[in-house]
Amino acid sequence: MTPYTNMIIIPSLIMGPLLTISSNHWILAWTGLEISTLAVIPLMAQQHHPRAIEAAIKYFLIQAAASTLILFSSITNAWTLGQWDIMQMSNTVSCTILTTALAIKLGLAPFHFWLPEVLQGTTTMMAMILTTWQKLAPLSLLVMTAQSLNTPLLLMLGLTSTIIGGWGGLNQTQLRKIMAFSSIAHLGWMITILTLSIKLMLITFYIYIIMTMTMFTMMKLLETNKISTTMMSWTKLPTMNTMMMLTLMSLAGLPPLTGFMPKWLILQELTKQNMIIIATMLALSSLLSLFFYLRISYYSTITLPPNPINFSKQWRHKINQKPYLAMLTTLSITLMPITPALMTTT
Amino acid sequence: MTPLHFSYYSAFTISIMGLSFHRTHLISTLLCLESMMLSLFIALSLWPIQLSISSFTLTPMLMLAFSACEAAMGLSLLVASSRTHGSDHLQNLNLLQC
Repeated sequence: MTPYTNMIIIPSLIMGPLLTISSNHWILAWTGLEISTLAVIPLMAQQHHPRAIEAAIKYFLIQAAASTLILFSSITNAWTLGQWDIMQMSNTVSCTILTTALAIKLGLAPFHFWLPEVLQGTTTMMAMILTTWQKLAPLSLLVMTAQSLNTPLLLMLGLTSTIIGGWGGLNQTQLRKIMAFSSIAHLGWMITILTLSIKLMLITFYIYIIMTMTMFTMMKLLETNKISTTMMSWTKLPTMNTMMMLTLMSLAGLPPLTGFMPKWLILQELTKQNMIIIATMLALSSLLSLFFYLRISYYSTITLPPNPINFSKQWRHKINQKPYLAMLTTLSITLMPITPALMTTT
Repeated sequence: MTPLHFSYYSAFTISIMGLSFHRTHLISTLLCLESMMLSLFIALSLWPIQLSISSFTLTPMLMLAFSACEAAMGLSLLVASSRTHGSDHLQNLNLLQC
C-alpha cells in the first residue's frame, strides 16, 4: 500500500490493543477494540483476491458483533451499578455475556468456526498478526475482569477449546489451518487457568506468542503453506529445518522444551485445586495436537535427507533471513531452565 | 425491569438474532449490525438522562462516530465482495472450507 495509507494503518494497528490494555473505562476499551478491528481489515483485504476478501468479510462480521456484545454487557452493568470501571464488573448476566463475547473474539470453541477459514485466506505475516497481536486486547480484558468471571463457564470453554483444537487439526493439510487449531488449543489452556492463577495465564500467553511467531516466521522463510511443500524445506535451509522440528515439539508441549513449562505449571495448579478430571482431560487432549505437530515434523525433518521428494514444483526465491528468528527460536526451545525466574518476574 | 429497559434489551436481542440468522445477502447482516449499534446508541443516550450525570452526554456521539466508521468498513467489504465474488450472496463465500 502507499506510504500515506501505511502511516495511518500501522500506528492504528499498534495503538488499538495498547489503548484497550491501558484503559479503566469500558468505552475506551471498546474504542481500542474497534480501532484494532478497523486497522487490520485493509491489511487483510490488500490483495483483492477472492479468498482474502472472504476472510476479511468473515473476520469483520465476527469482530464487529463481538465488540457490540461487549458494549452491550458493559451498558447493562453500568445501568445496574452506576459505574463504568472495568475492574469492578459485578452483574452476573453482564459477566456471562462479556465472557461469551470475548470467547467469540478470541476464537474459543464453540465459537471457533471462523478462525481456520480466516487464517487460511490471509498471507502468512497477516495470519501471524491475527494470532498474536490481536489476541492481546481481549485477553487483557479477561485478565482485568478475572475475579468476577464465572469459573465453571471458563472451565467449560477451555476444555472444549483444547479438545476441539486437537480434534479439528487432525484432518488438515494446510499449515495455516493447523496453526489456527493450535491457537484454539493453546487459548483453551489459557482460559482454563484464568480464574485460578492470572500469572500462569500470562506466562502461557507470552510463551504461546513466542512459539507462534517462530513457527510463522519459519513458514514465511520457507514459503510453504502445505505439509507437502515442507518436504522441500531441507533443501532450502537445513539448519532451520531442524529448528522447525524442535519448535513444533515445543508447541506440542514435550519436555525439556519451552512449551512444556506452561502445561506443567497449569496441571500442577489444577491438581492443587483438586480439579483432577479437568487436568486429566486437558493432558489427554494435548495428545491430539501432538499428532498433527508430529506429522508436520515427520514430513519436514524426520524423513531423513536426502530423501525422494514427491513435490518438486516450487519456485525458488532468494531467502531474506529475518534477524529476529534466531532469538525467537532460542526462546521457544530453551526457556525451560529459567522457569523460576519467569515465575517471579511476571 | 422497566418498559424502557425491556425495549432496549429486546431491540438489541432481535438485532443480534437477525445478524446470526442471515440467509442470503451480506447487506442484511450489515443492516442488523447497524441496528445493534442504534440500540446501543439509544441506551447510551438514556443513561445520562436517567442518572442525571450531564458530563456523560458526549459518549453517544463517540460511539456513533465509531459505528459509522464500522458501517463504512462493512459497506466497502460489500463492494469488494461484489467485485471478487460477483454478488453479495453469502453462499458464494465458500472458498475457504476445510
